[in-house]
Amino acid sequence: MMKLKPLMGALALGAMLAAGPVQALTVYTAGPGGLIKQLADDFKKETGIAVDVFQADTGKVMARLEAEASNPKADVVISASWDSALDLDKRGWLLPYASPNAAQVPAAYKGPSYVAQGLSALAIAWNTKSGTPRPADWSDLARPEFKGLVNMPDPAQSGTALELLSGLQSARGDAAWRLFQDLKRNDMAIAGANAQAMNPVLQGAKAAVFGAVDYVALDNQAKGESIEVIFPSSGTVVAGRPMMILKSSRQQQEAKRFVDFVLSDAGQARVAATYLIPARQDVKAKRPMIKDIKTLPMEDDAQRAGRQSLLERFTALFGRK
Amino acid sequence: MRANTLLVGAAVSALGVLVAMPLGFVLLQAIFPTLAQGSLAQPFSHLARTLSDPVLVELTLNTLKLGACVVLAAAAVGIPLGTLRGLFEVPGARIWDVLMLVPFMIPPYISALGWIMLLQPRGYLQQLLGVHAGPALFSFGGVVFVMTLNVVPVVYFAVSRTMAASGSRLAQVGRVCGGGAWRCFWRITLPLALPGIAASLLLVFAMAIEEYGTPAALAANAGFFVLVTGIERRFSEWPIDLPGASVLSLILVVLAMLAFAWQRRLVKGRGYETTTGKPMRGEAVPLGAWRWPVAGLFAATVAVATFAPLFAIAATAFSRTLSGGLAVDNLSLVHFKAIAAGGSEASRALVTSLALGVGAAAATGLIGVLVAYCVVKTRTRGRVVLDALAVLPNTMPGVVVGVGLILAWNQAFWPATPYNTWGILLLAYCCLLLPYPVRYSHAALMQIGDSLEAAARVHGAGAVTALARILLPLLAPSLGAAMLLVFAVASRELVASLLLAPTGVQTVSLFIWRQFEQGSVGQGMAMSLVTVALTTTLMVVATLWLDRRQGRDV
Repeated sequence: MMKLKPLMGALALGAMLAAGPVQALTVYTAGPGGLIKQLADDFKKETGIAVDVFQADTGKVMARLEAEASNPKADVVISASWDSALDLDKRGWLLPYASPNAAQVPAAYKGPSYVAQGLSALAIAWNTKSGTPRPADWSDLARPEFKGLVNMPDPAQSGTALELLSGLQSARGDAAWRLFQDLKRNDMAIAGANAQAMNPVLQGAKAAVFGAVDYVALDNQAKGESIEVIFPSSGTVVAGRPMMILKSSRQQQEAKRFVDFVLSDAGQARVAATYLIPARQDVKAKRPMIKDIKTLPMEDDAQRAGRQSLLERFTALFGRK
Repeated sequence: MRANTLLVGAAVSALGVLVAMPLGFVLLQAIFPTLAQGSLAQPFSHLARTLSDPVLVELTLNTLKLGACVVLAAAAVGIPLGTLRGLFEVPGARIWDVLMLVPFMIPPYISALGWIMLLQPRGYLQQLLGVHAGPALFSFGGVVFVMTLNVVPVVYFAVSRTMAASGSRLAQVGRVCGGGAWRCFWRITLPLALPGIAASLLLVFAMAIEEYGTPAALAANAGFFVLVTGIERRFSEWPIDLPGASVLSLILVVLAMLAFAWQRRLVKGRGYETTTGKPMRGEAVPLGAWRWPVAGLFAATVAVATFAPLFAIAATAFSRTLSGGLAVDNLSLVHFKAIAAGGSEASRALVTSLALGVGAAAATGLIGVLVAYCVVKTRTRGRVVLDALAVLPNTMPGVVVGVGLILAWNQAFWPATPYNTWGILLLAYCCLLLPYPVRYSHAALMQIGDSLEAAARVHGAGAVTALARILLPLLAPSLGAAMLLVFAVASRELVASLLLAPTGVQTVSLFIWRQFEQGSVGQGMAMSLVTVALTTTLMVVATLWLDRRQGRDV
């Protein structure tokens, strides 16, 4: 038994450290990397409230919330998938809160218990040195010049790719499915999550991403990659990144202050600096805003509810299991 | 006898806390779909829904096919190299050991990405030589190729240490009695090394059926999917399906248990005791004229397994942009500068990861010996269960083990819990990596004659003294290799870390993942390179230090 003592000692010590300062706020968030750190630092400077951050992809954030359900730890959750907010809300996990700073957030990107932190549009990311003609719309990627040269993030793994799929189907119905069939015939590849779809385009193995998350591509472009971000002429989807407070939070006042802060001028400026579209339309950004992008009509609840069967149909079309 | 009872008790409780508890919760989660909400309603309701999926049979067969192919390929590469290293004086043996370990320190998703960037159309190979290997890489064969290179070290180290321990004495007896060199190898040396070979191939099989990133990145568009694909999808597709993922993991567990039973049958009923205290000339046999061809073989293997992916990683890390390609004006230190600028964060992540790696290696080494000792050297009832339990974690995806750990440790009834501290990461790594030391020690203990321990006991040593003074030194080469493997994996583990990371704690793998997530492939690769360089240096220093100590003891 003696041999186990150090381990047990370490565990006990760890547990003691875990108790920590009581008033720290716990935020679970999906990317982008540096943003939450800056927000947390700024928030602490302004309010004196420390923020403990857990950061992962949306799937892991939700899996952790789900596994912790009997003894929740998070106060504020920021996800990259709008559906996750709607679902948590339906299950009654969320605290209703209308932040005074959310007035300038478009109605489509807020609800009684969730509000967008920032927005991103789904775009075509095109490698300018690929030797292909500049695409202007989704359908251009189904042309022979792009045969075998297009990547799409897997809608089963990327919430934003699913938003695009669903948005296109809702707006165009069968025409959308003809487009997907043409893309399939043109050997479009389905490539994991967003970053996995992007890398081959940067190196030149592929020429374009169908449905790239625009802020990552804009950031790549700013760093000197030969990438152009094209918003398709027939319209695209602008996806919100919902921010919500859990009902189980024991620090609801602090959580509300955090949401207020993210939606404040300073917080939204940080959001804009990552090339995301700030949720508040009165905050400036160094990139096209919603009004500059042709968007598809917003989906209603019934259309959103059909996503599971939509995904199954798409999965079957592209032979994925 | 009391000491033995104590040892068994310690082994059982360690396995209970580290393995049985989280895996037990995975099992409960598979049975009770609403377990996470603290309810036991509707037991078994999820089983039918998950298992009625029509593609499940195909996915299971694909998983088996992949596991079998990787095992065969890893055996074909690892056994010959391990044999040469164990029995002969290979020039530069220590260097090959370190270089063979490097592929293990590169996270699988990064090495897959490295291979993609090297071989895809317009990849580095095409930029250098004008040819690419896209079609070959993005296929089932490509998956087997890349995965084999990642796991070969497991076989290589097990075989070389086992061969070195059994030595060539018995084969020489065979030669004296008129057997030819090859005949003696096939009939004497190779069968004696069977425990090590079987143990390492079992580990390889478990790793191959559990790996997600490589098959998904390379073969998904060729239409090849495995069971883990389904598990991962349940973690990314909304709504998250924890019970479904748990059910699918149990299929993986069953597959691994079949492999485990097969391994036991293979090894059973024969004696492997070659370390019996008889004077034995331990030194390796000179290779003579064969030195250089053999060195060439090692160099070729290392060039493909180690330097090819490292080249792709380094090329990306030193390039300003990916689209700029391999060009002099694209050479830049910008990614390393970015890491240095965020200095404190990167170095804290490094320290955390290295500390966790050392901690996991020490803990699993200790517990691994204990468990293997109880299984091989005692007559404890139910020791097969202990042995089987120590294989399981390796076959489950890290994310499922992570969920099990959350369910186990985030319960309100614990007065204190390691959850949400670095302690939970240590627990996760120990759970996931315990199979290495257990299997390696198990194989090594089978070679050690009972007479040695009995002699010590007759001379008045207690069980613990005999273990510490006789068995541990004899185990050291195998155990040391296993602990190096644990350290290598623990210092770069991503999936469980991503799910379990305590708020505010950053490990190297998380740091790198975050760079990728932001679209900074270059920075991610730069950090990978720094980490590999640092871990390699640490391991070289540790090996040299151990060598010198051992030299002094003799």
